[in-house]
Amino acid sequence: MFLASRNFCCCGFKLRTDLLSRSIKHSTSATMPFRHKNTRRIEGLDSNVWVEFTKVAADPSIVNLGQGLPDISPPSYVKEELAKVAAVDRLNQYTRGFGHPSLVKALSQVYEKVCGRKIDPLTDILVTVGAYGSLFSTIQALIEEGDEVIIIEPFYDCYEPMVKMAGAKPVFIPLRCKNNGNSASSADWVLDPAELANKFNSKTKAIILNTPHNPIGKVFTLEELQVIADLCIKHDTLCISDEVYEWLVYKGNKHIKIATLPGMWERTVTIGSAGKTYSVTGWKLGWSIGPEYLIKHLQVVHQNTLYTCPTPLQEALAQAFWVDYKRMDDPDCYFYSLSRELESKRDRMAQLLKEAGLKPVIPDGGYFMIVDVSTLNVDLSDVDEKQPYDYKFVKWMIASKKLSAIPLSAFCGLETKKQFEKYIRFCFIKKDSTLDAAEVILKNWNKQTG
Amino acid sequence: MRLNSPTCGLQQPHLARTALELLIFYLQAKMSRPVQARRLEGIDKNIWVEFVNLAATYSKVNLGQGFPDFPAPDFLTEALTRALGGGNHMLHQYTRAFGHPPLVKVLAQFFEKLLGRDLDPMTNVMVTVGAYQALFCCFQALVDEGDEVIIIEPFFDCYEPMVKMAGGTPVFVPLRPNPPKDGKLMSSADWQLDPAELASKFSERTKAIVLNSPNNPLGKVFSREELGLIAELCVKHDVLCISDEVYEWLVYDGKQHIRIASLQGMWDRTVIIGSAGKTFSATGWKVGWAVGPDRLLQHLRTVHQNSVYHCATIAQEAVAQGFQRELMLYGKPESYFVQLPKELQQKRDWLVQSLDGVGMKPIIPEGTYFLVADISPFKSDVPDVPNSDEPYDSRFAKWMVKNKGLAAIPLSAFYSEAHKNNYTNFIRFCFAKEEATLKAASDILQKWKQKKTSS
Repeated sequence: MFLASRNFCCCGFKLRTDLLSRSIKHSTSATMPFRHKNTRRIEGLDSNVWVEFTKVAADPSIVNLGQGLPDISPPSYVKEELAKVAAVDRLNQYTRGFGHPSLVKALSQVYEKVCGRKIDPLTDILVTVGAYGSLFSTIQALIEEGDEVIIIEPFYDCYEPMVKMAGAKPVFIPLRCKNNGNSASSADWVLDPAELANKFNSKTKAIILNTPHNPIGKVFTLEELQVIADLCIKHDTLCISDEVYEWLVYKGNKHIKIATLPGMWERTVTIGSAGKTYSVTGWKLGWSIGPEYLIKHLQVVHQNTLYTCPTPLQEALAQAFWVDYKRMDDPDCYFYSLSRELESKRDRMAQLLKEAGLKPVIPDGGYFMIVDVSTLNVDLSDVDEKQPYDYKFVKWMIASKKLSAIPLSAFCGLETKKQFEKYIRFCFIKKDSTLDAAEVILKNWNKQTG
Repeated sequence: MRLNSPTCGLQQPHLARTALELLIFYLQAKMSRPVQARRLEGIDKNIWVEFVNLAATYSKVNLGQGFPDFPAPDFLTEALTRALGGGNHMLHQYTRAFGHPPLVKVLAQFFEKLLGRDLDPMTNVMVTVGAYQALFCCFQALVDEGDEVIIIEPFFDCYEPMVKMAGGTPVFVPLRPNPPKDGKLMSSADWQLDPAELASKFSERTKAIVLNSPNNPLGKVFSREELGLIAELCVKHDVLCISDEVYEWLVYDGKQHIRIASLQGMWDRTVIIGSAGKTFSATGWKVGWAVGPDRLLQHLRTVHQNSVYHCATIAQEAVAQGFQRELMLYGKPESYFVQLPKELQQKRDWLVQSLDGVGMKPIIPEGTYFLVADISPFKSDVPDVPNSDEPYDSRFAKWMVKNKGLAAIPLSAFYSEAHKNNYTNFIRFCFAKEEATLKAASDILQKWKQKKTSS
């Protein structure tokens, strides 16, 4: 007779414990029920839209406008800096944990210029493994059980699991379309100030802001940011501002840093990304900038999670930043030239989608575009009902049109999925040949449907 | 420390008293709570921040922090250059989150050989940002509040705060020195666990034991018998083993590194952690990995996808090529895994001689690139300060770097708070250094000794 129950040991019956331990010794672990489950903090956090959709789209015959990664080349000087660095011995060893000195110096210079305030490279900046790592460090440092965190829907999907992993409660508020669902621009999507105010209470530790916004491409205006700022100040709430697309704003729009509003620097952690700034998502370098009294806690998380980021990549990034820092007043600066390049891709993408009978929401920033696919009336009722419409649509589109996108309900809390399931997200930071291939599919779309 | 003072309700005196009190209570509660999360309690201090700073400021010879001052091997840096020059600019974009396919494939191939079992690169291997992040994923994935985790002292210092951050309780068990009777220099093998003492640390709350072999800082390479003892207890108590094997290739004197996962009943309960930084002398690349059964790695993957998600592509690409080379040369004299320990053994012997020559008593390490030495004959330079908060060896190491320009790390850095004063006379030296560095260290020591003898 074999007893595997751990509870048995807790009862403290020594004789049975001895029998138990002897029988455990002689059994193989395969016959014991495995008690080592996941920890509570990651309960329910194992599934992930990317794991599902990057697999599906990995087929090279599929035109991949799904996951947000550029297939354009990073600027040559960025690649060259990394090549130069590879030859320097000491750059293959550990650097300063909280950020390579030349990189934090460069970041402080660039952002001092942008923010109009002094930023101490050693105390006000933390370099992390991508903006993703900054989000994690910020949330682990400042959020815990009993806290509520306001998340604006649709949201970059990691916010919700990260908040949950920290033991806190996500509180959602949707962007709502102003014109009764007829949306031509990302600017049509707004927060209802009264609805937003209602979400704040004594437990609200932070609000996560993402501007320019993924997936809609909204660039929050000064007035909109002021509404959020006023509430943060009133309720003594922190602001986690994900600004990875900060340089990608299109004509007529301006990216405003909420941390520059009165009363906000002291309560805001602003997050940026090398991957998005320089089209090098695979470098996985990001940063958090804010007041020392907040950043020091992120640094504690960092020193207890991965300690340092790779040295050669940080050095190369620092050198790239110096190149562009020197020309920040020049239109040739990559921060502005990339934006111009993407604006024409955006316009082309929008045109193609319209011609196929789809309704794109033109983004004011970022490199994603959401599209209302309900106008196509594709009947997917016979497909597995458990998934939202947009999941089914994207899978159908991948299979039958060889074109991939990401379903928008992946970016929503449970209750809002219905509101967004007619939208899918396209990424347009793609080289011309990719967009050409997409064009072929979209032009032929109506020939095969109906 | 939050920012605002409560103002709202006080301007409306007609509010019901209890409602007003409630409001003030909520606002004050928010105000009096610290801004940071409780999980950071007690883990904010870090020895490296202080000692790395001191070394940067004062040291002429840095034998402190563990990184080589000799270059990474050419074949590795060339692999990076090739990857960059190859025209595949997609190497600058995201790769597979759980590990770049060429890297997980070659790691699976390598470890299949070493462990004698089939491995699936997709489910039995995960790439992390250094072994450090692999450790983090293990604790976050597997250690819950109330769980106990056994840590063998002295230990690589991050284990304790990581266990605490996961809400676990570290339970310490020491390696105890049994000096050889013949007055010869101690070996790291002379530091041993007491089997009964170890067994007594296992309780029904024990979730895992952290094993580090070869051990930092002592350099101990656990023998088959010692591993067998640990394995037996793990199986008996159904406890997991987090096996930090970053120095797996750095073993000397013909010793063998034995992987605990290859012992009976251990594969299913062990996560093996490795490091490209240590394997290929490129600590700044921050590429590490976890190898283990899917039923454990799946939870590490969940943590990983919710914390960093991807690791840098190009470093993984180059490390994959490094491993491919080593796979082809495995066991041959040109293998880096054969050459590096050979070179390091010589450096070890050189440093042992230098230290012994001036009266510091080194503990000869069986592995790693660290050695710990007893600095007793030099204690007179740094008088004891009774009732000092700081352990003696820490004060000694600070004095040494400031006054002699020689950086090393106090052994107390590798002990829990309660045990930091157990050994007051030991400091750790890193010998993964160029000959010139080791010679310069020797010169400093000689001059120091002469100064003492003549004064």
